[in-house]
This record gives sequence, structure tokens and C-alpha cells, in this order.
Amino acid sequence: MARTLAEATRRVLGSRRRGTRSPAVAPSAGAGDAALVADLEVAIGADRVRADAAARYLASRDASIYREGNAGPVCYPDSTADVVACVQVATRHGRAVSPRGAGTGLAGGAAPLGQPVVLSMTRMDKLTEIDLDNGVAWVQPGIVNLDLTRALAPHGVHYAPDPSSQAACTIGGNVANNSGGPHCLAYGVTSAHVLAVEVVLSDASVVTLGDLTAEPAGYDLRGAFVGSEGMCGIATAVAVRLTPNPPAVRTMLLCFDNVSDAAATVSAIIAAGIVPAAIEMMDQRCVTAVEDFAQAGYPKDAAAVLLVEVDGAAGGVAIAGERIADIARRNQAISVRTAADDDERARLWKGRKSAFGAVANVMPDYYLHDTVVPRTRLVEVLESIYEIVDRHDLLVLNVFHAGDGNLHPILAYDSRVPGADERVHAAGREIIEMSLDMGGALTGEHGIGVEKREYMSRMFSAVDLDQQARLRASFDPHCRMNPGKVLPSAHSCSDIGALRASDAAGVWG
Amino acid sequence: MHLGLNDDELVACVSCGLCLPHCPTFVITGRDTESPRGRIALMRAVQNEDAPVTDDLIRSMETCVQCRGCETACPSAVPFGHLMEGTRAALADAGRITPRWQRLALKGLRHRRLLMAGSTLLALAIRLRLVPTRRLGLPARMPLRRPPLRASGNDVWLFTGCVMDAWQRDVHLAVQRVLEAAGVGVEPTGGAAPCCGALHIHAGLESETKDMAWQVMAGLSGDDRPILVDAAGCGAALKDYGHLLGTDEARAFSARVFDVHEWLAGHLDELRSRHPVAPLDITVAVQDPCHLRHVQRAHQAVPEVLAPFVTRVVALDDDGLCCGAGGAYSVMEAELSRAIRERKTAAVARSGASVVASANPGCSLHLAATGLDVRHPLELVDQALSSSRV
Repeated sequence: MARTLAEATRRVLGSRRRGTRSPAVAPSAGAGDAALVADLEVAIGADRVRADAAARYLASRDASIYREGNAGPVCYPDSTADVVACVQVATRHGRAVSPRGAGTGLAGGAAPLGQPVVLSMTRMDKLTEIDLDNGVAWVQPGIVNLDLTRALAPHGVHYAPDPSSQAACTIGGNVANNSGGPHCLAYGVTSAHVLAVEVVLSDASVVTLGDLTAEPAGYDLRGAFVGSEGMCGIATAVAVRLTPNPPAVRTMLLCFDNVSDAAATVSAIIAAGIVPAAIEMMDQRCVTAVEDFAQAGYPKDAAAVLLVEVDGAAGGVAIAGERIADIARRNQAISVRTAADDDERARLWKGRKSAFGAVANVMPDYYLHDTVVPRTRLVEVLESIYEIVDRHDLLVLNVFHAGDGNLHPILAYDSRVPGADERVHAAGREIIEMSLDMGGALTGEHGIGVEKREYMSRMFSAVDLDQQARLRASFDPHCRMNPGKVLPSAHSCSDIGALRASDAAGVWG
Repeated sequence: MHLGLNDDELVACVSCGLCLPHCPTFVITGRDTESPRGRIALMRAVQNEDAPVTDDLIRSMETCVQCRGCETACPSAVPFGHLMEGTRAALADAGRITPRWQRLALKGLRHRRLLMAGSTLLALAIRLRLVPTRRLGLPARMPLRRPPLRASGNDVWLFTGCVMDAWQRDVHLAVQRVLEAAGVGVEPTGGAAPCCGALHIHAGLESETKDMAWQVMAGLSGDDRPILVDAAGCGAALKDYGHLLGTDEARAFSARVFDVHEWLAGHLDELRSRHPVAPLDITVAVQDPCHLRHVQRAHQAVPEVLAPFVTRVVALDDDGLCCGAGGAYSVMEAELSRAIRERKTAAVARSGASVVASANPGCSLHLAATGLDVRHPLELVDQALSSSRV
């Protein structure tokens, strides 16, 4: 893996070992790209196109460990018209297009394959319209999830899906991955909060999928688009649902001596008919990693903690809070703490939401899956994960959306140690196989991207996959939009053609 | 090219991206090349993967303000400041950054007489309107004369530094009066410690900075007196000598350094019991200098110290995002620096405050150039104290 990484880096950044000298002016993306870059510059302005090695190298990666991405020129559009223009130019030059938000994805979904034109949507970050009467806002795709909620705060409403990366990730990326988040247990994931999407299709036409009425006519193409990982087109405007802020919130931290008691508590809460806004679990290693940063008062000596939040009318919240505390104590909770104020609540959530980023406090690299398993089998699944990880001599930090059984076992390792990559991937594969055998699903919210592509056949039949490929082809018949993602290679129409041979040609030419 | 970076520090970034919204340059440009995560990835590519040091890669490093807002946002505590300082040192050694004229100018900061005389000349030139102050980001008026520094006791050192002493000695004098009002005998460092070296380390001049650190430590050795600093950038640099030099002596020196607000917050009762004060009737917005908030992490002392002396203290709602001053950054990267500043002035406008309190001279000059009324927090305290005495 280390060698592959070095090769991938050299491919994109070039290498002096091959005898290329560091040039005075940054090299363009290969001599063959000069005409493409010139046309892109004419289309949207020279200051918004970057074709140098550094820009392309960084546009080739996201927050996953996948390092085989290879970006062509990187464009920073300001408007739908800019996106249309870029798609037209790319098509004219026979190149694919890959969109990019904040690059916080964990499955390589934003890692461009085959030197496509990369559209970095960060500059399209405006909240363009708020319609409080109808509970809808139109936003551009590059707006940061948390910025949207902050901008809505004066109106007493918020955008409900709150991925852990919400401080950095963009709505466009959320739409692409149909992202979840802790509060999606009660409120539903992204698709339940996106009413309509303006999309630039692969032929550069602009369509609006879905509409703002309660019962849109015809097929739910919006539903097909949300979660399509950039393969059906590029979202250029999104109509999001506004959720009223709850009048009362109670956030509780339940601590346990062992993971099984925590898991049993989760099942008991749901079985009691309570629907908390969120139920999150972290195991001891995870708590230890985040506490130093968040200073939230997480106990480092508890084997597992549950972060439970209930919201709604004050009376109901109080009753639900009492019942949850009761259930926790019956399940041997060693402590039950209720956040006293907004500040304490914010710190508890800060700890939970920084879990992935805090891994380097333990190990410098991590590999992550996000399978979903039936909640009733949580204990069994967790025990299996610990067993698999021990057998491969690895470390695991468990942090997950316990309420809906969406696991995030973080395999922490040091890629500098020989053999570590192989062990991590072997353990990851076993965890996926085991989760699927328990009746689970491949991914809850992080998407398939490239990392989990080859597992698709384990979950879906050939017929299923062909149907998915046909749906995709109906949006994008020539596979020009973010090619190479999600569908395993045997089912991905002409993707292989889009992944140009230039991949191997090197950058410095 | 080996950048000489510590490999364990370099691999500590897991690329999660939580730093992005806290990086002033990424927020402005939206480009990964101008983000902390991107810069670290490029450092790794150069040091570990033998990637060539292209001009674009250098631009990515040069555009960093070194505000270190990414450090407080990082759940894995990646020491970005060290990585960037190390990278710049390697690039400066290779002659790829920090042009000769800049090195010469920085050298001048060590020579106190030269600096004072040059500043007086500059002040004169500004009065005669020979210098386009606005375009160069210089103050519209500079003092032609400086009242002398004088010692009032030897309880604490007051670190006076280089440019600040030449351009803003009034601030030092106000700070000294406030300390004296709390019953503290103050000795200004003056020529004993000519310059902390903050601008030098930011420009990648590591060995020169080390020389300067030894000089400052020698000048202030001989006792354990606290060294109080009223410029956040200098305070951060002095507190980092322990890491820079890596000796026990340097670590002991750094442990003596306090931001003056940090120290006063522990002595507020003395100040208040001696002088019952009528607060100034103004609304003050506190601008957190990055090197106070993200590096020293002592910014909360400023509103605490200020609160009893003005009627209303408000915080800005921008998560402590940098103002774009960055020492020499406002001159070297003027365009980006101004774009970053616009966000800060918008936050000030939203706050409804009439006065901005800034505990760092660089930020203060940079913001005042937009026409804002920017004061050092202790100037306001001094004003409240002196008007109550009358």
C-alpha cells in the first residue's frame, strides 16, 4: 500500500526521480490538457481554473484512505451557468466531470477517476431564499451544513440532518451521499429534507427534480437523485426543508461498565416506545480519544457511553428523560448525567462529532466501515467486531448511531508499519461479511464511493446491479458524471471508457 | 526535498477536514491548496513522496497567515504551526521564499537605534504626505517623539519589543500605568530584549530566530520575575522558546512569560479594590488576536479584565477567525489579507460596538486602517482609571 501510495503521488505530482526538474512555472495537467484548460478559462475565467500539480493532487483525495484518485483541471464555478459551461467544455474534450464539496467523504466518492474535470463547488455557498411560510429554503450546494443551520437560527428553524462533519461538509455532498447524522433517528436522513434539486445533467441541460408541493406528480426522480453520489448529474441548487427548533431539549450521558449493557439499553428505550432525537454510542477507546479535545467531561473509565437526546414539548421531554434514566439504571448504568445547560450540551456533542478526527490521538491512520445491522443484534455484532479486530492484532474505536444500528467501527492503525494495511483491509472485509450475514446493509450514510464498490456484489444480485446501472444510464448515458463510483466495474456501462488511458501517462508528459 | 519535519507530527493529520471552516484563507478562496489539510498533504508529498517543490506549492505555503486557528479546531491536535514553521525554514534555507529585501528589513528589527531612528523618519515622511499609508497598510499618523521608558520597580518585566515600542509606545505606557495601579512595580525591557523574533520565525529564518531568543533570554536572566507581554504575537513567540531551543533553560524562561491580560485576570481584585472606578460608557467588541486565542489560548482573560471598566463588552460572532494581519502577511499578501479583513469588519459591524479592543499591535494597525476605532484593551482600562481619578 505504501508503495502504491508513493506511485499515486508521483503520478499526480510528478517526480524528480524520473529526471524531471522542478520547473519554474507549475506544469499543466499534461500537454494534452492545454486546450481543455484554455477552453475552461474562456468559459468561466482564468482565475477560477487551476491545472497545476498541487491543486490537482489535493483535488484527488477526500477524507478516506483511498489515494488512487487522479484529477484533471480543477474549476471553481460561481453559478449554475458556470457549471453548464464546464460540462460543455469537458464533453467537447471527451472528458468526464466529478463534483467536489468539502472533501470530507469517507468512501472515496469525491476521488476523481480518469483525470476528469473536477468541479469544486465551495464558492457556490449562498443561502439564496428563505420561505418560512412554506418551511423551505433554497441553497447552493457548496454551503456548509452548519453554516446553513446558523443562518437559519434567527428564524427559529434549522436543517435537521447533522452529519458528524457538519461543521465542514457541504449540502451538495450530503445530497450526493444521502447523509445521515445523530439526529436522523427521529428526523430522517437527507432525502427526507430535500424537496427539490436543480441538476446539471451530463448533456449540460438543467432540470429541476421534485417540486415544492406535497404530492409531486410522476416518478420521484428527486428520490433517485439524492444518494446517487454525483453519478446522475451535478446539483446546483437544493430546496431544503426547514425544521422548527424544538421548544425543549434534554441531553443525557449514560455510562456503562460494559458494551452489552449499553446496547441492551438502546433496545429497551426503543422497545418502550420512546423515539429519542438521537442515541449515540461510544466505547472506551473512542471516549478517551475525544475527551482531551472536547473537554466535555466524558468518563474515560466507562466501557461504553450513550449520548441520548430527547426533544419536543417540555412536559413530554421531562417524562421521556425520566423514563430513559430509569431504563438505563435497570440496565446497570453506572451513572446518568443530564446536561445542565446549552454549553454542556454543546461540549458533549462536540466530543461525539469529533470522533473521526480525533483518531490520530491513538493512531495516525484509520479505515472505517458504516454497515447497518438490526438493532436487536447489536450486542452480537459488537462482540464479533472486537473478536475480528483482536484476531488481526488491530485497534478499534467504536462510535455509532446506536438508535438505528448504524455502526462505525474505526480501525486505527499506522500505515508505516509493514503489513498493517493488509491486516486492516482483511479485518474490514470480515466485518462487512459478518454484518451482512447478520442481516445488515453495506452502508448507512457514508456512501459506496470507490472503497466499498466491490462489496456491492455481496449485497445485490447481478439483476439488481444491472437495474441500478440502467437507472444511472437514464440520467447519464455516456457515464460522464463522476465515473467509476458505486457500481462494480462489471456493471458500470461504459465507465471503463471514461476512465481514460491517460491515467497511466504521467503528469509531466 | 526533506523538509526536516517530524514524521510523527506530519502523519497526525487524518484529513477529516474539521479545520477547513477555521482557516481564513480557505474560507476566502474555497481552494484546498489554501487549507490546512491541503498544506499538510503537500508537505507530506514533498517530504515523503519526493514530490517536486513547484511554485504553486510554495504559494500554498506562503498564503498561510500562520494564525493557527486550525490547531484549536483539530481533534487530533496536529501541531500545524510547527509544521508550517519547519516547512518555511526549509524553503527559506533553499532560497525559495523570503526575498533578500525582506530579510534585510527583518534584520533591522534587532537594531534598536536604527529602528527608532527609521521610525521617526517614517513618521516625518507620513506627516509630509510622502508615503502612501493606505496602500502600504501603514498607520495614518505615527508618533514623532516617544516619551522615555522608565522603571517603577522590579516586580515584573514589561516586554516592549521592537516595532510596537517604536510605533505604539503609548500603549506600553498605558499598560504600565494599569499595572502600577494594581500596586505592581514595572521594569520595561527596552534594549535588554530588542525583539522576540516572531516575524523571523514566520518568515522561515530559524537560525536567526534562535540567536534572537538567546539574546532575549540573556537580557532577562538573573531572576524569576514574570515577563508580561502586551502584544499577543510576541507573547506567543516568547512562550515558544522552550520548543524552539529545546533546552531546560528556554523552557524555564517560557514558563515565566504571561500575556498581560492573563496575568492581570489573576490580580483583578488588587486593581479594583485600590481604585473604585466608573466604567467608560462605551460598547467594546473584543477582537481575539489569533496568537492569544489559538496559540496562547488565553483570550478569555481580555473580556474578563475589560468588563469592570466599560459598560458593555461584546464578543464577535465569527468563531475567532483571523483578521488577516499576520505580522508581515498584510504587506506580503495584501490582497488576501484585505479579503480576510472584510469578514472581520463585517463581524464588528454586526456587533454594534463603537470601539474594538485588540491585544495585538499587528491586528490593531490592520483593523484601524479601515477607519475603525481600535484600542488596546488596557488603554481603555487606563482611560477608565485616569478619568475616575479626576
